[in-house]
Amino acid sequence: MKKRWLPRAVAGSVVLALGLTLAACGGGSSSSSGSGSFTVLVYGDASNKVEKQIVDTFNKTSKVKAKLQTIPGADYQTKLQTIINTKQAPDVFFNWGGGSIAPFVKAGLLLPLDDMIAKDPALKSDFLPSVFNGAVLDGKSYGIPMRGTQPVLLFNNKKVLADNGLTAPKTWDDLLNAVKVLKDKHITPIALGGGDQWPTLMWYEYMYDRMAGPSLFDKALGGDKTAWDSPDSHAALDKLKQLIDAGAFGTNFDSVKYTDGGSVALVAQGKAGFELMGSWYYSQQQQDNPDFAKTGLGYSTFPTVSDGKGDQSDIVGNTNNYYSVLKKTKYPDAIAQFLKLQYSDEFVKAQMAIGNLPTTTNTTNFLDTAADPAYSKFQYDLVKAAPSFQLSWDQAYPQSASNAMHTAVQQFFDGKLDADGFIKAMQALPTS
Amino acid sequence: MTTTDSPRVEKRRPVPRAGAGRPGRRSGASVARPGLAWAAPATLFFTLFAVVPLIMVAVLSFAEWDGVDALSFTGVDNWKTLFHDHVMLQSIWLTLLTTVLGVVVQTPLSILLGVWAAGKQRNRAVLSAIYFIPLLLSATAISILWRALLDPNFGVPSQARWLFGDGNLFGHQSTAIGVLIFVGAWQYTPFHTLIYQGATRAIPQVLYQAAAIDGAGRVRQFWSITLPQLRTTMVTSMILMVVGGMTVFDTVLILTQGGPGTDTTTTPYYSYVKGFKDFQFGYASAIALILVVVATIISLVIVKFSGYDKMRSSSEGL
Repeated sequence: MKKRWLPRAVAGSVVLALGLTLAACGGGSSSSSGSGSFTVLVYGDASNKVEKQIVDTFNKTSKVKAKLQTIPGADYQTKLQTIINTKQAPDVFFNWGGGSIAPFVKAGLLLPLDDMIAKDPALKSDFLPSVFNGAVLDGKSYGIPMRGTQPVLLFNNKKVLADNGLTAPKTWDDLLNAVKVLKDKHITPIALGGGDQWPTLMWYEYMYDRMAGPSLFDKALGGDKTAWDSPDSHAALDKLKQLIDAGAFGTNFDSVKYTDGGSVALVAQGKAGFELMGSWYYSQQQQDNPDFAKTGLGYSTFPTVSDGKGDQSDIVGNTNNYYSVLKKTKYPDAIAQFLKLQYSDEFVKAQMAIGNLPTTTNTTNFLDTAADPAYSKFQYDLVKAAPSFQLSWDQAYPQSASNAMHTAVQQFFDGKLDADGFIKAMQALPTS
Repeated sequence: MTTTDSPRVEKRRPVPRAGAGRPGRRSGASVARPGLAWAAPATLFFTLFAVVPLIMVAVLSFAEWDGVDALSFTGVDNWKTLFHDHVMLQSIWLTLLTTVLGVVVQTPLSILLGVWAAGKQRNRAVLSAIYFIPLLLSATAISILWRALLDPNFGVPSQARWLFGDGNLFGHQSTAIGVLIFVGAWQYTPFHTLIYQGATRAIPQVLYQAAAIDGAGRVRQFWSITLPQLRTTMVTSMILMVVGGMTVFDTVLILTQGGPGTDTTTTPYYSYVKGFKDFQFGYASAIALILVVVATIISLVIVKFSGYDKMRSSSEGL
């Protein structure tokens, strides 16, 4: 008996060990050195076209190769936080600067880029300072801008507006009027991907800024919870409520998503008049409905509110996205070369071609080469003229707040929370 | 379950083996029980992938950890928060509700389909193969598919306004739960159908022949022979449904994301949200432990009250 099981046990262990080794190989290959490559992790969406192109350009001349990895948008942050402190961590990764990388900086995972900048000052000086500073923490630079600036705009279907005798709304009353006209024609006035929750948040970001200016949110983010209960906060919620009750978003917005193309198609097919979305909406429409993007897509700033205290030319959105580098990477020199491409002429032209607006100092030279020069100029002037550019709330707050924030935002829109309930939920968010 | 059978099995075993070229193992005494070594692989895997993680989760539930910074122990803080967290308490109720609804919907369907599939009708094999397809698809693929099919503006609801109204299926608690139950049933009914099909085939034909002689029709045979004979199978199938239903996660993640608001946030999904969205792995572990406890209690209750623990062969008396 004993003699019999021993060889089998040995054989079994060998098989087991083999299996485990193979599995280990599979998991570890991305960071093992043999191939001489580093991983670049980016948020997966229509902008990946440019990231692919830049990586290809880099690989043509570099001995150390860059490998692009894209994570579908909705899961990006989850995946990143899960792997960043493991062997599978990327070498370079996409982020939103500010609050989105603060925990990683605190944990000492990120490489300050100041040495790279000392060697090549253009890595800093070729970007607009206000944007570059979005990824400066404790006086050190942790990110290089790598996409375009993304102000949130009110997009529209030109044909739907024209057919109903409307123009892009300049004021809040214009918008309410447009909502009424479209609703009477049985067109959903404003498409909203409520199922994703973050598109709903954009309405709050603009409404609060229009009614109270950026100081209310800054105070709240700084830990002053009374800001949420101020008269301005109530006024902003009242205005939103007015819009919802007017039927601006239809009745089924909770079942509609932006991320699966639902709300995008609503506007493109003329089933809805407007959609409030970041400037990347243009490249999304270009990918999903190229003809509509070229001829039918209109845009304007968020309407002004006459009784609001905020500066009516303020904007909200994402200042830019950034590439940050992990401290433990084996190829900092190659990565420095890679980062330099983020202000190259090729990069700027490629971003322009898909409707993004890079924040490099040479951007103005190429405004005419954009896919839609008028759209790029409009954005550029808007960003330049805006006294305040509010970073999306869910990026400004710590990651741990975003789920509770999104839930509250959705519940106020579908009527499950009243203004006081919403205010309480916002006061309960962790701020640091 | 096997205690009454095992002596018989052991005595039988050497007989066929003797013919397979294994002389010297003929006497019953020397093969009484297989050595402990045979249990080693299973024990190893169970320890590695079930016991160790469970212990780690239990330890983690007393700590605060965001996955990046160092872990810090916070005593019973997570547990104190847990019992005042209304989303948590609601999630247990939702988990139980969806589980019960899942069992109630799937059991009759799969018994009927299974009994039907066990017969010898024309086209039975072809249709059974088609019914089986959902089981071969991943839960993720199925959820994405149904999410697209149920889109209010471009999916089925837009073509059937008389039934779906404005199509806001994911905007109300009741309809969102309904979608979860429906998709779960669509996915898992084929599996339970298969179980019932096999069990029905195993019912001795003599019982039906005897019943036919006594004048019992098809319906009467179904109620008086098929169903009672399927009793043990029903318990097996229900336990699988309960355990599966309590841990459903992928469908919730893709179809409703726990929404609207927190209206379909079941316990497994809430644990995921706390862990991988809010990065409070300690708190998420505490939620997961609660789920382990609740699911264990329910399984034990089912085993106890169904008599599964002392159930005898269903062919008793034949």
